[in-house]
Amino acid sequence: MSTKKDPKSLTESERRQRDADRRKKVAVSQHGPKVLTLSLKEPDVFAAQQLNRASLDHCVKCTICETACPVLAVTPLFSGPKYVGPQAERFRHGESVDHSLDYCSSCGLCTLACPQGVNIAELNSMARAVMKADHMPIRDFLIGETVLMGKVMTPIAPIANAALANKPIRIAMEKIIGVHRDAPMPTAQSQSFVSWAKHHKRPAGPAPRGPVVFFHGCAGGYFEVQTSIHTVEVLEYLGFEVIVPTQGCCGLAQQSNGLFTQARKTVTKLCRQLRAAGQDLTIVSSSGSCAGMLKHEAHEIMGVDDPALIDVSTRTRETSEFLMELEDAGTLPHSFQRIDMTVPYHAPCQLKDQGMGMPAIRLLELIPGLKVVESGEGCCGIAGTYGLKKEKYDVAQAVGQVLFDMVIDTNPELAVCDTETCRWQISKSTGVPTVHPVSLIHRAYGLGD
Amino acid sequence: MTRVVVIGGGLAGLMAAARLVDQGAEVTLVTFGIGGLQLSHGGFDVLGYTPERVDRPFDALDDFIAAHPDHPYARLGTQGVREGVAFACTFFGDLFVGNSERNWLLPTAVGALRPTYLASPTMIAADPRADHDPVVVVGLRQLKDFQADLIAGNLVKQQIPARAIVLDFPARIREADASGLTYARAMDRADYRADFADALRKQLSKGEKALIPAIVGHRTATAFTDLRDRLGSPLAEIPLPPPSVPGMRLNDYASRHLQDIRVRWILGSRVVAIHGHDRRASSVDVATSGHIIELKADAFVYAPGGFESGAISLDSYGKVLETHLGLPVQVPEGQLIGPDRTAEQPLFRSGLATDDHMRVLDQQNRPVFENLFAAGGVLAGAMRWSEKSGEGIAAASAVRAADAIGDLA
Repeated sequence: MSTKKDPKSLTESERRQRDADRRKKVAVSQHGPKVLTLSLKEPDVFAAQQLNRASLDHCVKCTICETACPVLAVTPLFSGPKYVGPQAERFRHGESVDHSLDYCSSCGLCTLACPQGVNIAELNSMARAVMKADHMPIRDFLIGETVLMGKVMTPIAPIANAALANKPIRIAMEKIIGVHRDAPMPTAQSQSFVSWAKHHKRPAGPAPRGPVVFFHGCAGGYFEVQTSIHTVEVLEYLGFEVIVPTQGCCGLAQQSNGLFTQARKTVTKLCRQLRAAGQDLTIVSSSGSCAGMLKHEAHEIMGVDDPALIDVSTRTRETSEFLMELEDAGTLPHSFQRIDMTVPYHAPCQLKDQGMGMPAIRLLELIPGLKVVESGEGCCGIAGTYGLKKEKYDVAQAVGQVLFDMVIDTNPELAVCDTETCRWQISKSTGVPTVHPVSLIHRAYGLGD
Repeated sequence: MTRVVVIGGGLAGLMAAARLVDQGAEVTLVTFGIGGLQLSHGGFDVLGYTPERVDRPFDALDDFIAAHPDHPYARLGTQGVREGVAFACTFFGDLFVGNSERNWLLPTAVGALRPTYLASPTMIAADPRADHDPVVVVGLRQLKDFQADLIAGNLVKQQIPARAIVLDFPARIREADASGLTYARAMDRADYRADFADALRKQLSKGEKALIPAIVGHRTATAFTDLRDRLGSPLAEIPLPPPSVPGMRLNDYASRHLQDIRVRWILGSRVVAIHGHDRRASSVDVATSGHIIELKADAFVYAPGGFESGAISLDSYGKVLETHLGLPVQVPEGQLIGPDRTAEQPLFRSGLATDDHMRVLDQQNRPVFENLFAAGGVLAGAMRWSEKSGEGIAAASAVRAADAIGDLA
């Protein structure tokens, strides 16, 4: 990556050359970071085992999962979801038989595509946690600590941002921790969402639609503060009282890195916090992936069956999903201002995995003049923290390349995507500013500055 | 505007959705996983065996229907099957080629000759009746599930002059055991096609016809003609076991096109219940992650597939069930599974019974709901795999159901 050129100004032949160079890179094994020897207890608890292994025998070897796998499409380093999933699982007695499993990005598109109901991604996440249990890279601990990152970076936002943009610092980070020097990083904000919410004046008068709970997630709390503000302002405009309880992380990054023990604690604690805001209230989130963690992943991947999680999962709605429920009930106002624009839209893998279709497309197309072009791509490559890792970075970029080209070709000024890390990945790799759908709804309702 | 929920993402569900959009309906398609169309060989069967091999399906259909009064074709009639085929041709455009009302005869991955009514344009040159060119079956050392010598040997047994060659030509660096899809993705690139054509051209003699595995391009529609032009010899694809690239070309085109014309697409969730009263269905429950959503509609098309898709199943008490909605199943009389494993097993004729409008019937032959229709593999009475009738049933029943919904409105 020595010759860095603005991805928007590449010619067709330069794109081809870039892709050819990358094919060579992603075919050879790359070394991961240094590992720590730690003892993690029982990542594959009985509950998760039962849930996922019971689905094994439904596999008819149709290979539909392999056609949906974005990693297998770009590198031979991963032998594919069918091989490391239902096939290899039969041979596992606590030990992993295929270490290419580490190249699975946990995007979940295999499970989504499977017509027989095999929990392929869930089996793989479980097996990876077992495989990594006694040699977990220190990096994989660190990048799971998303709240800590926000807490450290927010008070020193300008310095933190300058540091993350500094090449020598990033090279040192790559060498010491194993986070790739070109990987997308969040931008620290000088004000956290919680700090904004404290000073935020609610609209005067009663909220005719009653209270909802807002779950902002770590990224929405510290980095994508604007998305969280837009969500609250849209909900208040619609007549909801928005309750923001004190809340921690959902543990998704820990789960994806195989740190099940920590992730279980994290998600259960969050569910208690969200419940404390009130019984039976709808929980709205603009963090597409974190909503998926609460709705199904923590239960299906790690076997968490704490009643607090089960309760929260049934009440959680992604923002576009929630607004379209209002639309389908005939109660979403259509007082949208015109936005004459065509925007590329990418539904993140972990949003698709929620099995609700793509409510953001229907929502955005309620705005007069706005045309949405769906990416047609499964995954942007980042898959939470996967694409940050130095040995996975090239794979993640190759996974996202068709999407990146599509974004640039559709509208080089603006793209839309529902999850934070995917937005960072898309904007870093294309130079195209990328927003959550709610930001366009915010603008169309005339709530912008 | 009529709201319709289509359940199932195989050919029947896709065709029903497309036809309904044409009629101006607002369509939601719910599919648990990707539909079976992408596993297909890339052609379109109407009738291949009765059990004798059929040359002209539309000449054979009247007799076939008379002999099989419980078959879905008996509900649809010869004319109904024609309408289904015509609609599929319009929808898929140049992805299908007909053979003047005759079945094509195309080599399979074991070298048998298989009848099919519409074929992928990349395969038709393989029909041995088209010319007398000697055949070269081209294997690839790094591709699994394609044995060139087996195919050539079986073609020779059928009096087709054939020889086999194997190219040492990987799809990508350091991969020894690639799928057809990995090759197809490489073939999407012009530089790879050029190198492949150079390698293959050296192995061919003048006048020979090359039969290669179905790997020539996944997303690049012009890949096949480009490769054939570079090669300068007659060329055809032979379908592979899944992942079937020709099936993916059809499925990708159909599902992408339907989403582009704003069929609301819900992938990955099961339909778990249907609600209604006074013989009118009003909504279905969809189990998305975390919670159930209720989809209200004016009509419902149920196209979840058959036994192979898990929609029909046999429980341990020997009872045949429709698994998702618990609809009444029509089961053949007598013994369901016979001792001769190579003979027809009556069990597999189990499925949903319908009237001529494709409305699902109960045991008293009354519609379960006036606005619940069924299409495709879930229908009772067919042996799609041995008759080679799957696509014909799917498209024709979907068109009939969609048109009946149009008449309701």
